[in-house]
Amino acid sequence: MNTEHAMEEILQIEGLRARIADGREVLKGIDLTVRSGEVHAIMGPNGAGKSTLSNVLAGRPGYEVTDGAVRYLGQDLLALAADERARAGVFLAFQYPVEIPGVNNMYFLRAALNAVRRHNGEPELDAAQFLRVVKAKLKLLDIREDLLHRAVNVGFSGGEKKRNEIFQMAMLEPRLAILDETDSGLDIDALRLVADGVNRLRAPARAIVLITHYQRLLDYVEPDFVHVLADGAIVASGDKTLATELEERGYAHLGLAA
Amino acid sequence: MLADPTMQTLLDARPSAIAEEPAWLTDWREAARQRFVELGLPTPRNEAWRFTDLRPLRAALSAQANASISPSAGELTPHRLTDAHHRLVFVDGRLDSAQSRVGLLRGVWCGSMAEALATRPELAEAALSAADAHDARPFAALNAAQFTDGMLLALEPGVVMDRPLELVCLRMTPSGPPVQLRHCITLGAGSQATVVESAFGDGAGCSNHVTTAALADQARLTYVKLQAEPDTALHLAELRVQLGRAAKLDGVFLSLGGRLSRQDIQVALAGEDAELALHGTYLLRGAQEAVIAPFVDHRVANCRTTELFKAVLDDAAHGVFLGSIAVREGADGTQAHQQNRNLLISRTARADTRPELTIYADEVKCSHGATVGDLDESALFYLQARGLTPAAARAMLIDAFAAEPIDAAALPPAIRDWLHFHLAAWLGTGEVR
Repeated sequence: MNTEHAMEEILQIEGLRARIADGREVLKGIDLTVRSGEVHAIMGPNGAGKSTLSNVLAGRPGYEVTDGAVRYLGQDLLALAADERARAGVFLAFQYPVEIPGVNNMYFLRAALNAVRRHNGEPELDAAQFLRVVKAKLKLLDIREDLLHRAVNVGFSGGEKKRNEIFQMAMLEPRLAILDETDSGLDIDALRLVADGVNRLRAPARAIVLITHYQRLLDYVEPDFVHVLADGAIVASGDKTLATELEERGYAHLGLAA
Repeated sequence: MLADPTMQTLLDARPSAIAEEPAWLTDWREAARQRFVELGLPTPRNEAWRFTDLRPLRAALSAQANASISPSAGELTPHRLTDAHHRLVFVDGRLDSAQSRVGLLRGVWCGSMAEALATRPELAEAALSAADAHDARPFAALNAAQFTDGMLLALEPGVVMDRPLELVCLRMTPSGPPVQLRHCITLGAGSQATVVESAFGDGAGCSNHVTTAALADQARLTYVKLQAEPDTALHLAELRVQLGRAAKLDGVFLSLGGRLSRQDIQVALAGEDAELALHGTYLLRGAQEAVIAPFVDHRVANCRTTELFKAVLDDAAHGVFLGSIAVREGADGTQAHQQNRNLLISRTARADTRPELTIYADEVKCSHGATVGDLDESALFYLQARGLTPAAARAMLIDAFAAEPIDAAALPPAIRDWLHFHLAAWLGTGEVR
């Protein structure tokens, strides 16, 4: 681990409570600290609050934080709008990437990357410079270029959509990446490709939070920590052996509905 | 005196006609004038105008004449398609020879109607009389009675025009009687042309243009119309096309300007296997109001129509789509599809949409549909979650919505880029994709 970033706290969640539009409380006091270089897996049964947690962290409208605090690199994350969080280096890989007809993937990505670069005080990339970055990242992730010339996610297979998310992550180089059920709906080959991409994007300065229902993603991406989320709270934390234990004995073993 | 003072003003204000008009034209104009008097100005009871606020229309039509200003070549430059095309420029209803340029092409006659009447009267007569002036739309009749000039483009059979013809209609009279041009296109069998008509102006005047086209068998016309008048102007326009056997029209419309604008499109599919594609986008903000009224007449069997019109409506703007497809008795094998989609980006914008199908034939494949909606919230969030500001995310989605008809149309890349440029300028995104 790079000592420069070692132990730097990227995300600190303390006593986070949130409810959804109908008033139901879904997060009931989450505590979690994620440091640079770490990969955390958050596992849990359906309805545990996994997607709510990722949406609240990304700033999706429709959720109300009622208590607690979230600090990102020392600043109050919840005070930032979704786009400000993204420019500050928070990335959410969507469980269901949105299809956007008429918006070219390359055009969209260049706008996004330049928004981040402006925020960082870096010069914007022109089309040629952008293309060079794209080529380099494509090579890193072994992704076909033709996906990039289509409208964002339109007509993409499930695997292509998830790979597109990973590609965006590679382009935007976030400090904190939250992958919301990135493994869902993938066959084993697609899962391998996505997992491989995530592994290549592990970096000393970056923290990754994998949110998943199943243990199988963790066969390919080895987490430093595993947390079990149930009924809106983290009920168990451990190393990767916790995931194996869950796989073998199920959520019921922890007294939870699967 | 007519009972309606606005009509009297219009008829009295007839600008000086084309010099030395032939007798047949004088008679033709008089018949059209009679027709206009019979029809009268539209009223709220008039079905074709019932969604439209007629007060600004009357106010613009009864305004008194004001001095006109001649634009310099420099002022024209930003409107130009490219420097390399044939170009006819009309300023306040007259040809501006200094800014016009047409290369000689074998089998092509191209020039002003005034010149055609003087040098090729038989071409002018055939072109003008091909379109029936005695129809039910008062402003088309008024145009026939009063047009001061226009373009005539006539292609002999088999001639393919290599480059587009740009037709710029500038209205520099800030008020007063309407500027009225009548353009005629006649395409011989198997000939092909691309005509790009644009309308620009200054101040709050009005224009009332008609473009007619007659396509013989297997002729192809790509007709592009950009309406970018100021948002204080009144702009009335009609495109009227007759398609022969296996002829094809690609019509593309981008409408951005005008306090009130109306684009009528009348297409008759009169020969078997004729094909029509209409694509258009109209963008309105402030108190702008636009009416897009395509009427497609499937007169014979085995013709195809596809139509897609989209509207982006901001502020208190009002967009009206009156789309009608008629399939006559015996027009079996017709395929006709019509779509109108409206994006409301403010709470006070309004859309009226009335897509109609009237079918008197068996064995047809027809569909029509209309939608009115807001921006997709999940798409907005997705873009913002990648770092785009809410304003940039909205602009990107609006641009994508508005660009679809332009991207779907069969167009040469230079014309597509030019339309994108005007679209981006309106949206304030400033970037050509």
